[in-house]
Amino acid sequence: MSSSAGQAHHGEAHQKPLVGSMGVDSRKLGLWAFIGSETLFFATLIVTHLIFYARTSNTLSSVGALELLDPRLGYLAIELTTVLATLLLASSLTMVLALAASKARDWKRFRIWQLATILLGASFVGGQIYEFIHLYHEGLKLAPAFEMHLSHEAHKALTALNLDPSIVRLKEAGEHATALVPSLFGVTFFVMTGFHGLHVTIGIIWLIAIYVKVSRFPESPENPMDIELGGLYWHFVDLVWVAIFTLIYLI
Amino acid sequence: MAIAEQKLTSTAPTTKESFQWRSWLATVDHKKIGIIYIISAFIFFIIGGIEAMLMRVQLGTPNSTFLSADLYNQLFTMHATTMVFLVVMPMNVGIGNYVVPLMIGARDMAFPRLNAFSVWLFLGGGFLLYLSFLTGGATNVGWFAYAPLTQTQFSPGQGVDYWILGLGLTGVASIAGALNFIVTVLNMRAPGMTINRMPLFVWMNVVVSFILIFAFPTFTVASIQLLFDRQFGAAFFNPALGGDAVLWQHLFWFFGHPEVYILILPVMGMISEVLPVYSRKPIFGYSFVAFSGVGIGFLGFIVWAHHMFGTGMGPIANGFFAAASMVIAIPTGVKIFNWIATMWGGDVRLTTSMLYAIGFISMFIIGGISGITLASPPIDLQQTDSYYVVAHFHYVLFGGSILGLFAGAFYWFPKMTGRMLDEKLGKAQFWLMLISMNVTFFPMHILGTEGMPRRIYTYESGMGWEMWNFIETIGTFFLAFSVLMFIYNVLVSLRSGEVASNDPWDAATLEWVVPSPPPSYNFLHIPHVTSRRPLWDAKYPHTTADDHHGEKSAPSQIRYEYSHEDSPGAKEIHMPTLTFMPMVLSAGLTVAALGFIYINQAILGLPIRTASYVFVAIGIVMVFYAIRGWVLDSRRDSPYLGHH
Amino acid sequence: MRKDARQKVVLATVLASITMVLAGCANLPATTMYTYGDHATRILDLLMIVFWMAVAVFVVVQGALVYTVVRFRNKPAATTLPKQIHGNTKIEIAWTIAPAIVVLIIAVLTFRTQAANSVMPPEAIKIRSVAHQWWFEFQYFNQDGVSLSTPIVVDDQNQPTITTATDMYVPVGVPITVQLDAADVMHNFWIPKIAGKTYMIPGKSNYLTFTVTEPGIYKAFCAEFCGEAHAQMHFRLIALPAAEYEAWKANVSKIPAAATGTVQVLGLTGDASRGAALFADAKKQCATCHIINGTDAKGKIGPNLTYLGSRTALGGAILPYSVDNLAKWLQDSNAIKQGNLMGRVIKKGTLTDQEVADLTAYLDSMKLSVALPAEK
Ligand code: HEA
Ligand code: HEA
Ligand code: CUA
Ligand SMILES: [Cu+2]
Repeated sequence: MSSSAGQAHHGEAHQKPLVGSMGVDSRKLGLWAFIGSETLFFATLIVTHLIFYARTSNTLSSVGALELLDPRLGYLAIELTTVLATLLLASSLTMVLALAASKARDWKRFRIWQLATILLGASFVGGQIYEFIHLYHEGLKLAPAFEMHLSHEAHKALTALNLDPSIVRLKEAGEHATALVPSLFGVTFFVMTGFHGLHVTIGIIWLIAIYVKVSRFPESPENPMDIELGGLYWHFVDLVWVAIFTLIYLI
Repeated sequence: MAIAEQKLTSTAPTTKESFQWRSWLATVDHKKIGIIYIISAFIFFIIGGIEAMLMRVQLGTPNSTFLSADLYNQLFTMHATTMVFLVVMPMNVGIGNYVVPLMIGARDMAFPRLNAFSVWLFLGGGFLLYLSFLTGGATNVGWFAYAPLTQTQFSPGQGVDYWILGLGLTGVASIAGALNFIVTVLNMRAPGMTINRMPLFVWMNVVVSFILIFAFPTFTVASIQLLFDRQFGAAFFNPALGGDAVLWQHLFWFFGHPEVYILILPVMGMISEVLPVYSRKPIFGYSFVAFSGVGIGFLGFIVWAHHMFGTGMGPIANGFFAAASMVIAIPTGVKIFNWIATMWGGDVRLTTSMLYAIGFISMFIIGGISGITLASPPIDLQQTDSYYVVAHFHYVLFGGSILGLFAGAFYWFPKMTGRMLDEKLGKAQFWLMLISMNVTFFPMHILGTEGMPRRIYTYESGMGWEMWNFIETIGTFFLAFSVLMFIYNVLVSLRSGEVASNDPWDAATLEWVVPSPPPSYNFLHIPHVTSRRPLWDAKYPHTTADDHHGEKSAPSQIRYEYSHEDSPGAKEIHMPTLTFMPMVLSAGLTVAALGFIYINQAILGLPIRTASYVFVAIGIVMVFYAIRGWVLDSRRDSPYLGHH
Repeated sequence: MRKDARQKVVLATVLASITMVLAGCANLPATTMYTYGDHATRILDLLMIVFWMAVAVFVVVQGALVYTVVRFRNKPAATTLPKQIHGNTKIEIAWTIAPAIVVLIIAVLTFRTQAANSVMPPEAIKIRSVAHQWWFEFQYFNQDGVSLSTPIVVDDQNQPTITTATDMYVPVGVPITVQLDAADVMHNFWIPKIAGKTYMIPGKSNYLTFTVTEPGIYKAFCAEFCGEAHAQMHFRLIALPAAEYEAWKANVSKIPAAATGTVQVLGLTGDASRGAALFADAKKQCATCHIINGTDAKGKIGPNLTYLGSRTALGGAILPYSVDNLAKWLQDSNAIKQGNLMGRVIKKGTLTDQEVADLTAYLDSMKLSVALPAEK
């Protein structure tokens, strides 16, 4: 969206380029509106996930197997995700510092902080890819059922319940046993977090573009605004993760 | 009036500039983009209408074998998809695109390239939707695509996937367009054009843009989830595998009901422009008309489940959504009463445009009232999924949106083309269309009450439905003829119509200050606005005294220098340069989407699947190429970045 | 031209509205204006009130519109500008409140009817209806086995005592609660003269309670679009006096007698016992989809065909029952009902005419003695 018909007003004394009757940069206004739209995008994804998690936990607790098979406890590694969350939050901080540096026209410090932000974001994406692969091996797939590996005790306890196979099907292959649970937890989880990861990736590309442009034209007066916009989007993406983290991992 | 005429009617230039494709395909001019929207939407209107005619011929007689069941199901689904997403929405956007910047005294939309991107992406989506007819059948699950009929085991083939991705593209286009409108109106207003001086058409465009950016994401997500169901076996909406079929209805209608207000509010804005001009009075109760629009927008988000009374949500939920739906009668009533009051005591000039505006009010009252009966859950349980509903929404959509759009067309055609449409022919067309739309749609109330379900490709004789269905079918052909009259009127008027002055209707808003058609930069001098009716007040200074509740305002300073491309000063005005990149970007996305449809078709052999990968790859390459070019373009336009 | 054209419009609208009321009053096969069930009757009563309120609103507002236009339409010699009035807050408030009052009344009446229509009396007879693409199945249980509070779940423990299709038998004068389920996609259960619509949703049971007031055969449809043959997914409600209903239940529960007799159809003589053999023959595949009580035919895909001979209609109630229509259906069901699932297996020519005749004879031989009421 780097084109703006604010430019259409060159030679118009009363209108500074890019800043219009709201006294705000057009792109900033547009980005805010876009963020508003994105909020509903993620809200829908999160709500869907919560609905189907509630379904699963209700059926499991109705047969008294929740504490053994709760997909949240079983799959979501709080440790890793906490690390990822901190990475992302840290990147928000470095982004702020990068912006401050650019306002001070200290391009050396800007480059450092911008680079830091990009690297932190990249490591988040890396971590998420790692988590996805890990979960896939753990039996959480993009499928309407998950197959959880069971400890011996858990397996015993579940066999004791002799559950309706339509709710939980126990499998035993020599040493290790698994429980196959029909549930959309995996589907909704991967779609939700996957789309967030996609947004982070786009954010990284955007930040890189800004980095290149600013290093190329340090003198351009548009730089602070360009950086501010990239930062705005970046903060939003982080905030979405905070929401997901608290709603899906903590409560 | 007489004085005003002399002062203002400097006839537009008849410069026969030769038509170049490049100036259109690479354009970033909001007016050209608006025209592209309008023409494509009108072509889609004819297609959707012909689909309707085929359905009507099939339904004209009982046990008809004119169409097969499956083809009929494709037709009514595509008819609705076309009319809603490819006709009324883009037509509103097109007219808004052309008129809004002029009305607020701007030289273009805030993001001209994004604007071009929107129009081409909309066309890409329309292309995908219609391509499906050739690739083994269009979607045939109804325009709200209830689960689980949309699952692959019940709907094999790619029709539904084409529908999802086609609407996905038009959806992105719409959101981009809405963001553009929001920023343009908030940020590009001429000095003095305060929020409470904006024309009501501008108001409604902003309201609709906000509705759109908040309503569409839900549908986008739902359709993505459906796509995962069909392509990767995700089962979001497949109860057999633990999914939830009713969830789809909630997600769809949370978007779907606001959508119907997206279809009507801009048209209500047009009516609010047309009525005052032809009554030679200001709009009655400006702020009430404006804020009732805002109110309708808000209420539109809490009534969605009135489409689901039959799904067993329970009396409490039903009661809530019923009450909320009925409340909408209040702000809508306010609008209607204010429109009538605007004409009251005025000098009502019954031009074609005015006739259409009045026809809109009249027909919309009928459609709205039938809506109220539907909002009562018990009554709805008899009327839902029957032809009564079909009657309701054709009164609001055809009697509302389409008639209103014709009012706008006859009002702004001179501004857009520099020619007047033929009034005599126009009035004849209006009466034919008004009568034949009632002949076509009114009996549907009766058929619904007599128990005719909707979406049936045929019915047995002896049900007592034959006569009304036959009458409706006849009516459709008269409707088609009235549309043909309009096409004829346009073609003739473009060539030999009376030349239009700047201000042929003695109007009040800024678009009538500039020549017809306006130069690329719209205004040689950005006007300084001091009232709600800048042009009117300049023409009739003595009437400004009692302007909005006595707020005394000096006549707006508007300069009428006759201006065109090569007038002095025009050279300095720097407009963004032509670029193909927005089009390439949209094309890339379309190609990628087309490939994605076949990405996971187990039924298809390996070659086709690899082909789909190739398509996706090409698409992505085009996208990156276009983004790069886009950035370079904006750099070229930027005063600060290197090479000028 | 403008004037007389406007008169035409007015005339057309008036005529149309009159004919609407008249047409609404004709007792057509599926009209919602002649009701024989309490559910539909309550709705009709509500509709009548709301309808006349709507007419009042229509006349007032439409009248104001037309009057304004006619009165103030341009006078040729209008040289002076009309007075530039910008609004009047008092009037605004007035016409904000007026519609509010109207909708408030409509809302209150609505809630009353809704409450009345959503009660499920405990003594109600409970029947389960399962919708399939594209036919209705009806299951009856011995009532002491089922309670209203818990949904009916059909499994090895709990099997219906009677399973039938297309004809839904109910007693007159007693409340009936139908549990509505769907086997594949969404359908919608609609008996216009008896009760409003209720969705049949896979994975979610809905309930509809109604009392039929007069014996009769009532037309009913699937109202929600459910795929290719949605248009031909009908059924019939057969309401019998309590005694006859009990008699029907008793008879239909019995195992049909061994098939004997012949019918003349397609100019051939169909033999029932040969037909029975064909039906059981695995190669002919009838038994893979259909059940006939007391035989080895145990398919669960298609409708249960026990006592098909006394059905009132065939193919999802799109053909009145007769041996000729039955033979037509067996010969080429696709020609009668595009997309129907049986037609994907038993195509035109799959069965020879002689086989069709024999099967017809067999299915027709399974008859009950029920005194059918008149079609309403
Ligand atoms: C432009 C589009 C448009 C508009 C404006 C409306 C407006 C309204 N609609 Fe409509 N509606 C549709 C398009 C629209 N609708 C479509 C497309 C469908 C079907 C989708 C599908 O199933 O395919 C539908 C379906 C639909 C249903 C679901 C029916 C069903 O499927 O069972 C309902 C139920 O409540 C409903 C209600 C309303 C109401 C209460 C209004 C209100 O906004 C109307 C308010 C206006 C008035 C009331 C008239 C003016 C007011 C006065 C003159 C004041 C005095 C009036 C009173 C006091 C009553 N609509
Ligand atoms: C803005 C929206 C809009 C508009 C304008 C229309 C316009 C028309 N609609 Fe449509 N309709 C819908 C939205 C709309 N419809 C929707 C949302 C549905 C629900 C679908 C669903 O259930 O999923 C629907 C469903 C629907 C049905 C019900 C199908 C069913 O349930 O089985 C019918 C049946 O008559 C119908 C008819 C018509 C007709 C006759 C017109 C006419 O007004 C069309 C008039 C226009 C023309 C006729 C074009 C002019 C043609 C030419 C100039 C070319 C001349 C060519 C020849 C003469 C060959 N529509
Ligand atoms: Cu079943 Cu329509
Ligand atoms: Cu709605």
